[in-house]
Amino acid sequence: MNTRTVWSNTVLSGKYLLLTFLSFLMFFPFLWMVSSALKTKEEIWQFPPTWWPENPQWSNFLEAWEMAPFGLYIFNSVFTATVIVVLQLVTAAMISYAFTQFKFKGRDALFTIILGSYMLPVAATYVPSYVLLADFGLLDTYSGIIVSNAVSVFGIFLLRQAFMQVPKEMVEAARVDGATHWRILWKIFLPLTLPSFVTFGLISFVQMYNNYLWPSLIIKSEEKMLITQGIQKFFMQEGGYGLQWPLIMAASSFVVFPLLILFIFAQKFFVSGINDQGVKG
Amino acid sequence: METVAETSKVETQAKTKRKSKLSALKAFTPWFFALPALVPLATFWIYPMINSFYISMTDWDYISPGYTFVFFENYLNLIKNPVFYEVLWNTVYFTLGTVIPTIIGGLLLALLVVKNQRGIGIFRTVLFSPWVTPTVAVAIVWSWIYEPETGIANWVLSLFGLPGLEWTSSSQWAMPAIIIVTVWKGLGWAMIFYLNALKRVPTVLYEAASIDGASSFQKFLKVTVPLVSPTTLFLTIITMVESLQAYDQIQVMTQGGPAGSTRTLLYMYYQSAFEEFNMGKATALATILIIITAILSLVQFKSSKKWVHYQ
Repeated sequence: MNTRTVWSNTVLSGKYLLLTFLSFLMFFPFLWMVSSALKTKEEIWQFPPTWWPENPQWSNFLEAWEMAPFGLYIFNSVFTATVIVVLQLVTAAMISYAFTQFKFKGRDALFTIILGSYMLPVAATYVPSYVLLADFGLLDTYSGIIVSNAVSVFGIFLLRQAFMQVPKEMVEAARVDGATHWRILWKIFLPLTLPSFVTFGLISFVQMYNNYLWPSLIIKSEEKMLITQGIQKFFMQEGGYGLQWPLIMAASSFVVFPLLILFIFAQKFFVSGINDQGVKG
Repeated sequence: METVAETSKVETQAKTKRKSKLSALKAFTPWFFALPALVPLATFWIYPMINSFYISMTDWDYISPGYTFVFFENYLNLIKNPVFYEVLWNTVYFTLGTVIPTIIGGLLLALLVVKNQRGIGIFRTVLFSPWVTPTVAVAIVWSWIYEPETGIANWVLSLFGLPGLEWTSSSQWAMPAIIIVTVWKGLGWAMIFYLNALKRVPTVLYEAASIDGASSFQKFLKVTVPLVSPTTLFLTIITMVESLQAYDQIQVMTQGGPAGSTRTLLYMYYQSAFEEFNMGKATALATILIIITAILSLVQFKSSKKWVHYQ
């Protein structure tokens, strides 16, 4: 071993040390959430706080679970998010196909407008959109949330970018064979750019599951509430009287863990999927 | 013979007819693909933008069917209202306070995890994980971390011999508290985009810089920063738009308080519209928010010609 490798090893272990520290810092709120959820009502108010409860109260999870219909809330969120993602994928794929495979009047102007809308805060449209949904009779319905989220501008960017890399010859060959555009989109473009579809689908699912302000304006009935509304309501109720932090932390775990688990299984699509949006193979 | 000629004549006529029908169909095909996205986009994006501007010129209160046209009165009232300037300042404070650390932190994290060394994948996953979790839920967890009596944030401060803070109950520290949560959640997103950009930097450039005797820091300044600048521009605009419409964490942690110290433009918009039902005032705020965003995006695009280098 020469001095050079010793030096580079030191740098490397320094880097790992730093990364471990930073990762711990970033992940700490989740660990703290679980540790706090397991404390008794007395232990939670101890200062300095204990890192891990002396006597973990696993029953807190059960108690919190029974205090509000969290299962129903999670189902509602997963259901609406799934429908929205499917719609967004279809609409984005179709318009991306139009943008990349056809030359039509106003195409570039149209794309510029869509691009521009990505740079404006969508929340600024909530009043008229709310009135519109009221006129359609879609307040307090999932249809209201779904139709107003049917298109994702981010999805259009991502898929358009991926579609531009599909070789022209493949499309021409398919046309010569008599394939319709509809068929080409779903039989050639979809399989070739599948990673982009999956990446966008996951990102959009996470965003829709986490969405709070807009759904909370639309949904008012208790049994239709999404999980983000449910947890906020629970926090307000429990926070109001005497702050049941262990139960609140247990309930927060119900909300956070489904997504963390989904993320762990699908992380390569999040972390590397956004990286290479090109066509493979 | 005659019949053959006639049939061929009829055939050609039918063919031209079919042809014109076909070309009409052909002209429509792109729109067939574009419309499923365009109709909702026009209904829930373009139309509300225009409609919002119209409502901002009225005194509509949502409940009564009628309204009077008041022109720019809502805007004038805002300009005369000292609260509006507080809210503007809070918005600037929050936006700069979140965008700058997210961009710089995202780039530094990406530099740390860009090389495919052993175990790096786990670090990438962990660093990105806050982004996937719901803001509402993690803001609740952070409220507990910031708890003034026994919260762990004050315990950490006490380790350094610092006095505990009131965090979200203090008008001085509530904004930094919310900024910390927002940056914590957004860092991973910026990191991912920088990772992508860093991988595209040709290694030849680093080698050339090494031959010229450049130090690591010089290489970072002269090679890395200019080459990832398109990503910096993109991320700055995206994070800025995100920050300008931040709501969830404010709603959970402070509801705009204490004493209005965390009330941003968007939060005031929400309060005017859905708590006071003053639709004119709310939509006037929306117009101002849109104009501010548009100006900031434009400024960045214009200035980007000086600092963004496309390969």
